[in-house]
Amino acid sequence: MPTHQLTPVQQRNNVTVTGNPEGRPIVFAHGFGCSQEMWRAVAPFFENDYRVVAFDQVGAGGSDLSAYDPGKYDSLHGYADDVLEILEDLDLNDAVFVGHSVSAMIGVLAAARKPERFGALILVGPSPRYINTDGYVGGYEQEDIDSLLDALDANYLGWSATMAPLIMGHSETPALGETLTDSFCSVDPTIARHFARVTFLSDNRRDLREVTTPTLVLQCQADIIAPLAVGQFVHEQIPGSTLVVMNARGHCPNLSAPDELRDEINAFLA
Amino acid sequence: MPSLPDLAAEHPDYEDLFHNAPCGYVVTSPEWVISAANSTFATMVGAPASELAGRTFPDLLTTGSQLFHETRHVPVLRLQGRADEVALSLERADGTLVPTLVNSVLTTVDGTDEIRMAVFDSTGRRDYERDLLTARRAAESSETRVRVLQQASSAFALADTEEALADAIATAVRDAFTATHASVLLLDAQGELRLAAGVNQLRQTREPGVSSPSLEALRLKRTVTLPNPDHANSFVPGLGDALRAARLEAAIATPLLDKGEPTGVVVCHFGRQRNFDEGSVELFETLARQSSHVLARIRLQDQLTELALHDQLTGLANRKLLEERLNQTLAAVIRKQRAVAILFLDLDGFKVVNDQCGHAVGDSVLQQVSERLRHVVRAGDTIGRYGGDEFVIICDDTDGDAAMVIADRIRSVAREPLTGVPDSCPISASIGIALLGPSTNPAISSDNVLQLADAAMYTSKSEGKDRVTVVSV
Repeated sequence: MPTHQLTPVQQRNNVTVTGNPEGRPIVFAHGFGCSQEMWRAVAPFFENDYRVVAFDQVGAGGSDLSAYDPGKYDSLHGYADDVLEILEDLDLNDAVFVGHSVSAMIGVLAAARKPERFGALILVGPSPRYINTDGYVGGYEQEDIDSLLDALDANYLGWSATMAPLIMGHSETPALGETLTDSFCSVDPTIARHFARVTFLSDNRRDLREVTTPTLVLQCQADIIAPLAVGQFVHEQIPGSTLVVMNARGHCPNLSAPDELRDEINAFLA
Repeated sequence: MPSLPDLAAEHPDYEDLFHNAPCGYVVTSPEWVISAANSTFATMVGAPASELAGRTFPDLLTTGSQLFHETRHVPVLRLQGRADEVALSLERADGTLVPTLVNSVLTTVDGTDEIRMAVFDSTGRRDYERDLLTARRAAESSETRVRVLQQASSAFALADTEEALADAIATAVRDAFTATHASVLLLDAQGELRLAAGVNQLRQTREPGVSSPSLEALRLKRTVTLPNPDHANSFVPGLGDALRAARLEAAIATPLLDKGEPTGVVVCHFGRQRNFDEGSVELFETLARQSSHVLARIRLQDQLTELALHDQLTGLANRKLLEERLNQTLAAVIRKQRAVAILFLDLDGFKVVNDQCGHAVGDSVLQQVSERLRHVVRAGDTIGRYGGDEFVIICDDTDGDAAMVIADRIRSVAREPLTGVPDSCPISASIGIALLGPSTNPAISSDNVLQLADAAMYTSKSEGKDRVTVVSV
């Protein structure tokens, strides 16, 4: 554990910094449903050459739950604000931002706002719009997202600690500094519900065009969350971006194919 | 550990034990391709076990469960090596759903990774949970509404200024609608719209002359809902682009109306697209209506306070307000060592006008003179009617020379002809000036100052009227 005093931003997002202090910064951002543990198999590969930064989105892992302002986090812009604050707090420049799933779009918004902080964007399984709209195929309908919310409820209802407040219809505001650290991929159920709506109901297609940072779009085989056509769309919309379709299958190559993911990132940065 | 041989002796048919276990059993590759499944699972899914091999496990799930599986089940299993009691719904070929609880482990057999899952039909538990959830959601939605309205009404009731009310409205609607920003804009007496509370990003980034959700709500005198930028652009060309430039995607605005006339507007801005259903629009409008009533009450109170401090005939400060201002001015003189002039003015010839032309003309003279005084003093000066035909003017930051200039202007405008007053009844002004400055005794009271200025005025009267006498205090 670091012994130096953490800044408020570092505490809020449970920011961890490892690797080579002199190296180029590389920032790993996790998606919906998990925490920075998602990068456990990938981040160590970069520790020799890079200053490795990982963090938890507010509501996940070791983040400060009392920092959850529903209004702020009702759009991905709120999460992008946090990313920019982390970059400023650590004074990172020429940063490589590796965003998985929804955090890929969070990185897009952040890089469009403050391109001077970013040296490269690595988007792993990005999707700017999950709902099919006017001929655009995102892969899902509104009912599917309702069905996901049902699935979230079905799973989180069983958590005895959260059962009572859920049934009572209001969960208490978490105390200052309260975090979830006792299990893998821990997420606060109430925040997870809101994050699910924000993730799956946002439409950030127009923001892709504003990216000026060199961008690598990494697409997996048989990824039902972000199908190939969506990866193609992201690639076409971000000027000058590179699209690589990996051999990895599913939505989480950071867990199922860390070596391949590392190689693709290194090849792009070389 | 003799249990296995014992079990084997009693149940020689392992295959039967596997197929007809009281839970579904599935084995897949790390990519979730099914390599084996028992009959119980096949029955749950509604397909022969032989047909399941080669299909992927997520294919058997409802879409919502697929999303949960990919974003939660997979990470937990990968990171922890196992995942317990994950609730996933199977979708059978005929479209019916089977709620299940799944325990899964990631294991290595002969150097090959595989995933093994035990799948329990949880229809009973799920029905119970469904009921709980349905009840909870219904309770939550009506409870939220009631809670929002209750909290808002008590916050509104506590507000005693426009600012406090505006703050309460902005907080209430931002919380109720999980808005990125909420703001309250109020129309002032000049018809100018000013930001009274909250954050309004659009006002900061919008080009001048471009419309906004608030302006449209005021113009149309009704609620305006803009669920996304395209909708906003078709509502008013360029409005959606203006929203996006402020990193906003949706907005709802409703006017505050008092007897049908707008007094302000409440607006919520959202950083992502929103669908505004009937219930939420109604809640928004109810909050606006409630706060409109409170705003009208506060404005009425302000008017009453205003009235209580002003002379009804002339609209000038009354004696109470004059004394208040004088006390403040004296304190400032002592604290900041400033020069201040207090002018005491009495009209010459007023009694004659009152006696010969009647009180109505007398009142009109006081009104006409008051109006002229307003034009000759400077913006920050206070003019008050002290009583009868006596007026007091507090001129801050004014030395003797400047005070004389003002006094001479007053004498000059007082002599000009007055409507309704015959030439045979001339009016002029006798003025006494008390000058205060760094050398003023800090113990002096406002009464002392007024008495000294009054005495100076009497000197002007006794020395022939229409003149100025200065006394340094």
